[in-house]
Amino acid sequence: MSQILKNQEIQDTYDVIIIGAGNGGLIAGATLAKEGLKTIIIERHNLPGGFATSFVRGRFEFEASLHELADYGPPENKGGIRRLFEDKLDLEAEFARVPEAYRLVLTHPDKELDVSMPFGVEKYLDKMEDLVPGSRESVEKFFNVAKEIRSAFRYIASTHGNPDQGTLMKEYTNFLKTAAYSAEEVEIALGIPEKARKILNAYWAYLGLPTERINFTIFASMILVYIEKGAYIPKNRSHGYTTALDKKIKEMGGKILYNTTVNKILVEDGQVIGVETLNGDKIMSKHIISNASPTLAYNKLIYPQSEVPDIAYKEVNARIHGMSAFCVFLGLDASVEELGLDEYSYFIMEDMDTSAVYDSWLELQVPKGQATVVINNAVPDCSPPGTSLMYITTLFDPKAWENVKPEEYFKIKSKIANGLIKQFEEATGAPISDHIEEIEIASPETYARYTGTYNGIIYGYEPESWDSLVPRLMSMNDDIHIKGLRFAGGFGARCHGYSSSMSDGHTVALLTLQDIKKGGDSHE
Amino acid sequence: MSKDEYERVDVTVKRNTKDLFAFTKLVPERKKRIQNASAEPIRKDPMNKLAHQLHPIRQYLVIDKIIDNTKTTKTFKLIPDPDSETKQLAYFRPGQYLSLKVKIDDELITRPYSISSSPREALEGYYEITIKKEEDDGFLTPYIWKNWKIGTKIETSGPEGFFYYEPLRDSEKIVGLAGGSGITPFRSLAKSIANEDIEANLTILYGCSDEDDIVFHDELKTIEMENPEKVKLILILSCEEVSLEGCETGFITSEIIKKYTDPENSSFFICGPQIMYEFVEKELEALNLKPKQIRREAFGEIKNISEFPGFPKEVIDKAFTLKVHIGSVEKDVPAKATESVLIALERAELAPPSKCRSGECGFCRSHLLKGDIFVNPISDWRRDADKKFNYFHPCASYPLSDLEIVVPRD
Ligand SMILES: Cc1cc2nc3c(=O)[nH]c(=O)nc-3n(C[C@H](O)[C@H](O)[C@H](O)COP(=O)(O)OP(=O)(O)OC[C@H]3O[C@@H](n4cnc5c(N)ncnc54)[C@H](O)[C@@H]3O)c2cc1C
Repeated sequence: MSQILKNQEIQDTYDVIIIGAGNGGLIAGATLAKEGLKTIIIERHNLPGGFATSFVRGRFEFEASLHELADYGPPENKGGIRRLFEDKLDLEAEFARVPEAYRLVLTHPDKELDVSMPFGVEKYLDKMEDLVPGSRESVEKFFNVAKEIRSAFRYIASTHGNPDQGTLMKEYTNFLKTAAYSAEEVEIALGIPEKARKILNAYWAYLGLPTERINFTIFASMILVYIEKGAYIPKNRSHGYTTALDKKIKEMGGKILYNTTVNKILVEDGQVIGVETLNGDKIMSKHIISNASPTLAYNKLIYPQSEVPDIAYKEVNARIHGMSAFCVFLGLDASVEELGLDEYSYFIMEDMDTSAVYDSWLELQVPKGQATVVINNAVPDCSPPGTSLMYITTLFDPKAWENVKPEEYFKIKSKIANGLIKQFEEATGAPISDHIEEIEIASPETYARYTGTYNGIIYGYEPESWDSLVPRLMSMNDDIHIKGLRFAGGFGARCHGYSSSMSDGHTVALLTLQDIKKGGDSHE
Repeated sequence: MSKDEYERVDVTVKRNTKDLFAFTKLVPERKKRIQNASAEPIRKDPMNKLAHQLHPIRQYLVIDKIIDNTKTTKTFKLIPDPDSETKQLAYFRPGQYLSLKVKIDDELITRPYSISSSPREALEGYYEITIKKEEDDGFLTPYIWKNWKIGTKIETSGPEGFFYYEPLRDSEKIVGLAGGSGITPFRSLAKSIANEDIEANLTILYGCSDEDDIVFHDELKTIEMENPEKVKLILILSCEEVSLEGCETGFITSEIIKKYTDPENSSFFICGPQIMYEFVEKELEALNLKPKQIRREAFGEIKNISEFPGFPKEVIDKAFTLKVHIGSVEKDVPAKATESVLIALERAELAPPSKCRSGECGFCRSHLLKGDIFVNPISDWRRDADKKFNYFHPCASYPLSDLEIVVPRD
């Protein structure tokens, strides 16, 4: 390191250090700074947000990841994230409502389906009954069970993972009875007709595992929150609200260091004592919240490595690492009207065999499904007049990309992107390939590059029943393997996704606050 | 917290008691799986490895060969420094550049240079960059001319930039509009087309002020001869006397463009000195192209910022003080209104990371706490929210008052 950089090294002590300014890290930082704790966030990139960011190409500012923010809700029925942003943080960020829930297109000649579904539980049920006569009762049951599950989650969270069995038995029986089953098992038990199940399951890709494997409770609560509260997107892409958070955190006295990579989490006798960065900083604290995953922290960051207990490695190895993604970002030189694109959100799949689509992500090929959004249909002026902004997302197991050589990489990306564009054109008839003014293609490599996430994974640990929200919440204390080190974000207790990562950041900040109060080692 | 209203229904998935029992097993099941898992650390991370190969943060190179192309132009062949961690060169796309980091006296500066060799040659172990000595280039090139020898060590970034052919976006009829040293990315592209790494046709319209200034003339002519269907070179010379045959004279006008290309169905890539853009862009206007048909290489820092519309004339001769926060350091730094904030920071040895020096890559993104800056619209690549929350790119921003800024460390 040059003398110049040496002189800029930071040596200081904080109440809490947060590693990473992704959704989880930013909210944890904001929560603690608001509580008046001396808080620092250390981020390796020169931007806040992690995946929640944007980038500029030509005349377009692209959203990097968000399709739909869940749990924001309208002003008269605020969701948790809107309450957090407006009531707790008074954040300067604007959000727009997504007009319709989704259009689902199944393209297999024998299994064709093309439906558009609205937001609002009642409207949704009506539409479903129109499409699948006789489905109303069972689908309504689904939503009622989902509501009970949501209440149960709130109750369990309020007990910090130690719910009273009697209360659960009395108040949340249906939650108990479905918590160990997959979405498919419960939907069949509820008697939902097959076609209605196909339509209902359209959101499955947001969780990224087949309906036979995804835990019912987490799946049902996700569908409920979208259909009931609607979906929102930030007006200035995700960078709009993450930069607003940056400002808020600093106003409340928090510090954020960008372009600074934590390379060591220092541990002594089973207790964290601070971090070191690649810039030579040595920052001390007995409380660290890592927005970098347990997989990264235990395998790459803890120093000395002998401080990592076997149980930590075991935990990481037992859990199933989720998917990475592949994204085609398109700036088009035609308006949505010219292109005939009416919807915001498109789910396009060969058919609703979610296992077959999942399996297609295991190989280096054009996947059998995509989730695509057209931003102008929620934020009309997100791109210059006469243009439009959209992106196609699909998932990939990073293993499919393991043997890709650098010299093949760009061609492989182009080929898969081309296949996805064709898939979209065939499903919708919109001639997008003639209008590509800007294109960027992200692969599992890209996600690794920008956030350092282990193996390019964007979707935390897979929430099969044994590792879904409930057992995670109820094991919260068992999962602490090094004193003073907690995790927040998409690899955390609430599973992945924007709202989950943010709620997790909030909860983990409050738990850390408790630790500090108990330990009495606040900096002040 | 609002309490949910819902109807209590009765669900049985398998059997009532079995369902309840299954719940009680969830946590023990999770424990058991964890207990039974391997305690081996994970050592492989293939996607981060690939990311590191494609986008190394730094490459440590050494000059292996210096070729004099013309009186004012030299090509430097760079290979991995055997004493460094750089073992392989990052693959790239023709048109991308390397940001070179050079230390002059105690000042660290960066400069972007297009890679003039082909991606395949990077796999063979070398990059070439081609540097022209401009008359008004007071700082770096004289230093390079004087000091760079075979064996000189050079630190660079990974390949950067978006000035490349993208088959899903661009027409396979590519027109390269090159001026002076702006020929370099097209040499890389021509080579890749010749060796079939890229399937496209390339017509280069190459403007030069002097016959002696034509870089890679013979080499490009050879590629043209060997690939008559795919690569074509047309020289446009602006000097009085022209002895070469088959050249156009004057500048790259819309007439010349129409004569040699099929404008309506082509993608135009422009690379050259700042004044060439101003000229060529006007000529292209006459062709009524769609915005997507024109791609511009960033040309580095704007040298005559005060001549741009909107720049307040009254500050031209002014100097200001920048109060800079960087890491643990807080320091006052002098800055001229007509020089970018980045230059002032480099001079004060407080440089943030930087690559493109054109406002585009966002690497130097910094926070403006107090004061006013001028940002030229043509190099304003800031995100919307950055404008709202006062983040700016020092390489494309000029102080109009004293400033207070927070700058990331390199
Ligand atoms: C293409 C795509 C589409 C998506 N669509 C949706 C959607 O529609 N809806 C939805 O809810 N979710 C969506 N997601 C998922 C969502 O983006 C993530 O689950 C969520 O953003 C994860 O947040 P996080 O808190 O885990 O932080 P991350 O975004 O993982 O951020 C972690 C941060 O830590 C930093 N960091 C890591 N290691 C270090 C270190 N050693 N030192 C310093 N800093 C470090 C990283 O740079 C990064 O900024 C999508 C994701 C992708 C990629």
